[in-house]
Amino acid sequence: MKRKTVSMLSVLLVCFTSTVSFSAETIKIGALYPMSGRGGLYGQDSEAAIKIAVGEVNAKGLPGGKKLEVIVTDDQSKPALAVTLAKRYITEDKVKFLYGVVSSGAALAVTEVSKEYKTIFVGTDHAATDLTANAFQKYYFRVSNNTFQSMAAGAMYMQETKMGGKIAYIGPDYAYGRDQIAELKYSLGKLGVKYEMVGEFWPKLYEPDYTSYITAIIKAKPDVLVSGFWGGDTVAFIKQAKAYGLFNKMKYFHPDGGGNYEVFSTLGAECPEGLIMSARHHNNWPETKENKDFVAKFKKATGRYPSYAAEGAYAGILVIAEAIRKVGNADDTEALIKAMEGMKLHQPEDPAGFTSYIDPKTHQMVQAQAIGVTVKNDKFPPAKYMLGKFKVYPADKIMATQEYIDILIKTKKK
Amino acid sequence: MSFEIFISQFLGGLSVAMLLFLVASGLTLIFGVAKVFNFAHGSFYMLGAYFSYQAIALFDNFWIGAVAAALGAGLVGIALEVCFIRRIAGREEEGAFQILLTYAFILILDDVVKFIWGPAYKTITKPESLAGSLNFGTVTIPTYNLFIIFLGLVIVISAWYVLSRTRMGKIIQAASTDSQMVGVLGVNVSLVMSLVFGVATAMGGLAGAMAAPLRTVAPGTGVEVIIDSLIVVVIGGLGNFWGALFAALLIGEVNAFGILWMPQWASLLSFAVMIVVLIFKPKGLFSQEKGRKKI
Repeated sequence: MKRKTVSMLSVLLVCFTSTVSFSAETIKIGALYPMSGRGGLYGQDSEAAIKIAVGEVNAKGLPGGKKLEVIVTDDQSKPALAVTLAKRYITEDKVKFLYGVVSSGAALAVTEVSKEYKTIFVGTDHAATDLTANAFQKYYFRVSNNTFQSMAAGAMYMQETKMGGKIAYIGPDYAYGRDQIAELKYSLGKLGVKYEMVGEFWPKLYEPDYTSYITAIIKAKPDVLVSGFWGGDTVAFIKQAKAYGLFNKMKYFHPDGGGNYEVFSTLGAECPEGLIMSARHHNNWPETKENKDFVAKFKKATGRYPSYAAEGAYAGILVIAEAIRKVGNADDTEALIKAMEGMKLHQPEDPAGFTSYIDPKTHQMVQAQAIGVTVKNDKFPPAKYMLGKFKVYPADKIMATQEYIDILIKTKKK
Repeated sequence: MSFEIFISQFLGGLSVAMLLFLVASGLTLIFGVAKVFNFAHGSFYMLGAYFSYQAIALFDNFWIGAVAAALGAGLVGIALEVCFIRRIAGREEEGAFQILLTYAFILILDDVVKFIWGPAYKTITKPESLAGSLNFGTVTIPTYNLFIIFLGLVIVISAWYVLSRTRMGKIIQAASTDSQMVGVLGVNVSLVMSLVFGVATAMGGLAGAMAAPLRTVAPGTGVEVIIDSLIVVVIGGLGNFWGALFAALLIGEVNAFGILWMPQWASLLSFAVMIVVLIFKPKGLFSQEKGRKKI
């Protein structure tokens, strides 16, 4: 049975439907995603990708003829609501796995529930490094990149392309924005890249108007503007900055989420050329059969191309299925953890010749990162520009080091 | 600071202020006249953006989009006033009901938009005539931002004319002071209320359409503009139209220059201004009452 809440009213409705009993033949996964508001796109795309993955897993079969069943509920990206829903999933719906979560704030709250109830939580989207570092607990796994990986790759890109000099940063004023620049500075320091910070700008998340920031950034005259925006904020900033000619005056570097497909599909022909960006999944990279198949399946199911969130949501289900197959059931949580630690899994976003694996120590999926530049490409309409000229950074070079994890433990605790 | 940078920051702040004013003025007008705190006012801004998107998709004309946004948002506003908000007027628990009801509108309108247009972000491009930029020395100003400032001024002047020079304006002003007395004088007060609601939500819708080429059109964007609008309304004095104009300009410019001097604290600036104003003028800058009395 599928549940999808869209408003407070339907949350109430869901409370009533949760008493419906399920057949004993299913293994339940309780997924939490934002299904409404600005983040709704990621929830909807994740749900569509989950359906594809569950279909494939169930067609192939699981030990004992069991089937996977995923319940999706709107957590509105609110930590308190996510905690309530996660607890209800465990105590009432008897789910074996918690799943998903876009907001790092909500994920940091849900991982505590996972620890308390000894239930495995597979994170598919949120990027805060903390979850696999200072806030790590053994029931937590993450199948998508964290910001450390993106920024470490970003630092390597800057070194390779000699992009140092004067740097300004703009990012949303909360953990996600703050962590990105701290991690980039750490990695630049490790690589010995020389740079000078000429400004840090902190608009609030979902700030509608960046005009005053843009003029202030232009005044600071950086060589490179590093950006830590997310989702629709990237779109608004690019539209507004373009009219001020910002992209002719400096390089725009956005290594975690700038190159998300939804940015290109929204900007269309308005997208400037030559922006340097990456994303946790690209529809046009790697050009492997797995990635092409994944994108095509998603397009067929929904009529649109996937945003970055979909691939993580797809991969997580395959990880869970693989663990259940190895253990033979979904009841032995400790054995499932052992099965997932070090698990190798070929994902759509793996370049040819590389297979992602779960780091046994931090439970972080170890993946390669590709950074590209915006170029004309209308093969994924309505986007008119996509990333191209990719530079690929090997997975083992961009993982958070123990030294960095220790810094986080010391400075942030939990 | 050089003169060029001053101008660039000042005009940037002005264009932000004008969009803010378009939303906040409607919010304060509704409060002033109908005594309704329309928590969902930002949702009309969002609706305007979507109506404009739809009209442009059909007619391929930015200006038809702007008209559709204002008309559409205004009609939805009138419908909600007539069907719902009017029903709770005068009840003992009206205040609490207003918040519940208008908050419900936010959620419902967000979902309606998602069901009709889907969760993906939408975009509106600027009309070609306004797509360029003007260069003054080393400073670049987008033509569209200048247009927003111009449009804001036109609306301010029209509002001044209607409110102070027409019979309708005088009725609205009278109704905001004592609507019962206006009713006794033979004016159809409920019609006035609906009209005010319609005009105010139409202005919100127009703001959404005008902001869309600069921003992201997505479900949930209404909530994002309502907080800043609330700050503006509170600073200006609840229900005070000119207060909203002054406060929007104040917030726009304080942010524009604050970002230059203390970028670390930028997201706190609006709140800081509000706190300072509330300490000295608890009812807002343009309220008649004096500050808090010492007992």
